[in-house]
Formats: sequence, C-alpha cells, structure tokens
Amino acid sequence: MATEDLNIGFVPLTDSAPLIVAKEKGLFEKHGLNVTLSRENSWSQIRDKLTAGTIDAAHMLAPMVPASWIGEAPSSEKFVTALTLNLNGNAITVSNKLYDQLTEADRDAMLERPISARAIRKVIAQRIERGQEPLTIGAVFPFSSHNYAVRYWLGAEGINPDRDVRMVVAPPPFMVEQLEQGIVDAFCVGEPWNTMAEHRGLGRSIVTSAEVWRNTPEKVLGVRRHWAQENERLHFSLLSAVLEALVLLDDRNVRQEAVTLLARPEYVNVPAAVLAPALSGPGILQNRRSLIESDDFLIFHHYAANFPWRSHALWYLTQMARWGQIQSPVVVGEIAEQAYMPEMYRLVADELKLTYPTSDYKMEGNTDRAWLLRDANDSLVMPRSSFIDGTVFNPSDLRAYIESFVRHNLRIDPADFSAGS
Amino acid sequence: MESNTETPLIVLLIDSNANRAKIVEEGLKGAAVVKQATELHGAELLGLVRQLQPDAIIIDCDSPDRDTIENLQLVARENPKPVVMFVEDGDGALSKEAVRAGVSAYIVDGLSTNRVLPVLEIAIERFKMVDALMKDLQKSKEDLEARKVIERAKGILMEKRKISENEAYATLRSIAMKQGKKMKDIAENILSVSSLFDD
Repeated sequence: MATEDLNIGFVPLTDSAPLIVAKEKGLFEKHGLNVTLSRENSWSQIRDKLTAGTIDAAHMLAPMVPASWIGEAPSSEKFVTALTLNLNGNAITVSNKLYDQLTEADRDAMLERPISARAIRKVIAQRIERGQEPLTIGAVFPFSSHNYAVRYWLGAEGINPDRDVRMVVAPPPFMVEQLEQGIVDAFCVGEPWNTMAEHRGLGRSIVTSAEVWRNTPEKVLGVRRHWAQENERLHFSLLSAVLEALVLLDDRNVRQEAVTLLARPEYVNVPAAVLAPALSGPGILQNRRSLIESDDFLIFHHYAANFPWRSHALWYLTQMARWGQIQSPVVVGEIAEQAYMPEMYRLVADELKLTYPTSDYKMEGNTDRAWLLRDANDSLVMPRSSFIDGTVFNPSDLRAYIESFVRHNLRIDPADFSAGS
Repeated sequence: MESNTETPLIVLLIDSNANRAKIVEEGLKGAAVVKQATELHGAELLGLVRQLQPDAIIIDCDSPDRDTIENLQLVARENPKPVVMFVEDGDGALSKEAVRAGVSAYIVDGLSTNRVLPVLEIAIERFKMVDALMKDLQKSKEDLEARKVIERAKGILMEKRKISENEAYATLRSIAMKQGKKMKDIAENILSVSSLFDD
C-alpha cells in the first residue's frame, strides 16, 4: 500500500491521547498514513493552520466546527467532522481562597453533589454589595465547551456571566499559577490543568463538565470541508486509524500506557502523575479522592462516544445564540447537516465491525438511567443524560429551548435561529 | 505618516523570541516605545492593554496568548487595537488567514529593522479603516435593535393605558428625558417589568 503524508495539529492536553496513541502504536502506518503530529499553542492557531492547509486535520474543540459556519467566526474555510474524540474531561477549579469563601457563604450548597453555583452566587452578591471587584473566571476559547459549561453552570443559578463576573480567555498552563496569585479566582479547563492546580495545592476542582451536562461532546477530529470532499479515501483511512486508537483507549491498560506516552516532552510534557487521574481513574490519588478521577470523567469510546450526533452541533449553536455569539439570522439545521458527517462515521465503524447509531439526532437531559438505543445496527447501551438544571434539550424544538433560558444575552431574535425546512 | 510626531507610539510586544524583540526595538527607535509582555497572561495581559492603551500589539503566531488577544479583538471588541503578527510561513497562506481573523498586518518569516515601522504604520491605518466600518455596522445594528424594543414597549403602553401610538411614544420620551436615560433603556425596563406580570 502506498503511504500518504498527513499533518495533524494537536493542543497539548490529555484528550489529545487518541492521536498520540494512534501514532505510537503504529495505527496510522497500518492504514497507510505517514502522520506528523504538530503541537500548537492556541486554538486560534489550530483554526488558522487548518484553514490555510498547513495541517490537514486537527484535534479541535467541538464547537469550533459549527462556529466555522456562522458569519461571526473569523474563518474563510468551513470545517466538518466525522469523529468525536471524547466526551467530558473538563472541570471548574476554584482558588483555595474562593473555596473557603464558598464554604463560608453556603456550607450546605457545597456539600451537595453536583455542586451548584448557589454558593458562588452568594459570594458574587456580597462583592457587589461591598463594592469589590467582580470575580475573574478563566476559560480557554470563546467557542469552547469550557466557555459554555462555565456559563451554563453560572446561568443555571441566575448569574449573568457577562455582567456579574469578569470572564477572561487565557492559556490554561498560566492560569494555574494565577490561581495562587489571585489573578483568576476560578477557571474551567481541560486536563491536566485541573489536576495540576490540585497537585500543587493551588485550587480545588468543584464541578466537572460531565456534571453540568452529562456526556458533553468535547474534542472532535476536524478537517476542511473541501478536503473531506476531495480526499474521501484518505479521510476514511485517517478516521479508521484514530477510531481504532479510541477503541483501545477504553482499556485501562492502554490508558495507563497513554499516561507515559503523553508525559513525553514532544507531547503534553508534564509529569505522568498529573495525567494519571483523568486517564487511569480511581485509586490514583492516595490522600483524597479528586473529582478528576471519577468514573466517566473522560470517555474515549463507550456510549457511542465517537459518533458525530448532529444534535450535538445544534446544542452548541443554541449556546452560541444564548451568549450573543450569533448575531445574524442562521439556518442551524443546515449547518448540522453539513458540518457533521454521521454517514461517514457509519462507513468506518462498519468496516471496523463496531456498533453504530442509525439516527443522527437525540434528546439530551431526558433520562436519569442508562438506556438501550434501538436506532442502531445492534443495540447500544447509552448512558443517563442530564443537565445540572434539569432541563431537556429537544433538537426538534430549538426555538423553545433558546427561549427557556432565564439567563441569556441573546443578540438575535429566536425566530431568526431556525432549524430550516 | 505618524513617524515624526512628537509623542511616540506605544507598542505592546508579545513574543518570547529575544532576537526578534531586539530587531523590533531597534526598528522602532525614536518612533515608538516598545513594552514587552511575555510574562503576563490572561487577565493580567488584558489589564496591561487597558492601562497602556497601546497604539498596536505585535504578537507571535505561536504565542499561547493568541486566544486571549483574539477574544479581546473579535468577541469582546472591548477597545480593540491594531494587531501585527509574526508568521513563519513560506507560501503566505497562513498570514492571509490571520488577516481575516482580525489581524491588521503580518510579518512573514525574516524581519529586518527597516521594515518594522512601515508595517506598523500600515497596520494602524488599516485598522482605523476596518474599525470605522465595524463601528458603523454595530451602530446600525443597535439602532435597529432599539427601534424593535421601543415598538414593543409602545405596544404594551397602548394596551395597558388605552392610549394612542403617539401618546405612547410621547410617554416613553418624557420618562427618558426625566430620568436622563435612553429611550431604549426605558423601553427595556417596561418589557422586563411587564414580563413579570405575564401568565
């Protein structure tokens, strides 16, 4: 088989594991690909390099794909995806000082699981009354699951993230330091940065993205739309290699191996001990349990995790509208149809003899127990699904969903946010 | 252009490459004060931008602070600044992309002292043009938005007080004048109060 060269961009995070495992375990080679992994320092750079063609595919924040189709996002190329790389994996970490203030403000609220924003709401109110500076909360990119998770969490308790706190975009490695110095009071980031803050005794992780929205689609393998159209066979090989790595990553032994691989200087370049909680799960930390090592904190394959649900693209688009990132009329149904490629996923999964859903849309937040997905080529076990505020997302009634939020900063009329015909 | 004005330009440089920083400083000698910000990130970096009010920001495309600067420029649009970006890129495709993403000018690959100032000046000019366009666009959007809100508030007043459209408008205007607020703000208050009494 002829070998084809491919450049794939990744950001040094724990959930870049599928690409690194595919490379190190020879899965790219197996599928005839000679892959160079290119480490990038920012999501802006990932977007620009993918658009420009300097890289062919990228480890990408799931919302960046639908965002490339709306007028407000600065990209001249539209991105598509046929593969979700992981579910969950982020957390909100607060500084020790803020943690103490939260406990003092509302001890009961801090003992509940999941921890709601009730206590932080009280701290915010106190600061307003006393004329103090607002709390500073960091997230990683305007079109990121992190940004939407922290906003959802705050909004669920009636806090307006654009008015009641100061939201800043900052690189996670530096935010860890800034927790100690009081420059940021809290952040919502991926791993290994929550664990890094906990290990260094600088902060406490109080809520996971999985608790805000159980099984949040996190990263995807993004490619340019035109590239996907012109390189179908190559795309197929790429998806096959990465999907094989994802299947392997369901195995705890492989996840432990990934810890060692990711720690290397050319990859995430952090001590193995801070990668381990998210990858190897319970029992890693000796002193006390961290939220980061909870079950399903980071899912790579089971629960049909890799399937690109079109309803996931729709959910992210509702959040972009909710927080004023969409300002011009948009037919979101068409974006979901074109940007997410479940048909392609099914072809690849079929070849690898994996079970796959036969429907493209599903409800979210509607079940508190595991269930069987019958719209599949064989039945699939699906997890419970919930949002922290108990609401239900029905992808066939987007307008009602957008209008249901108590806290929002809509900058379009919900009628201009249409599902299409 | 502005190279001979009395007050020097203020330039914020976000680049960890010391050689390049030296070239920038030499190239701008006498024309600009260069402030380096390699150790500041996120909220601190934004604080420095607020405090310094630089005439331009020069940033390396590989800098981890790019998302912060881009958010400032494009999303928050909180007092945006001209941005010049260092790009190492043979065919120029990447720099073309960066220009679309709110960067005013770019310096591809090699950098020489005599090119720094001209590029900076072009960036500032280009930024002024784009910024004026964006502000016009924003203003017409806001006007449209205000008109919609005022229409809805008028409707509520007409129904609740059984008054004519002209009277409703006059009422809104007189409240706005008395309180020294914009009509749109008064209209929004009416809408949010009335929504409390719905259902």
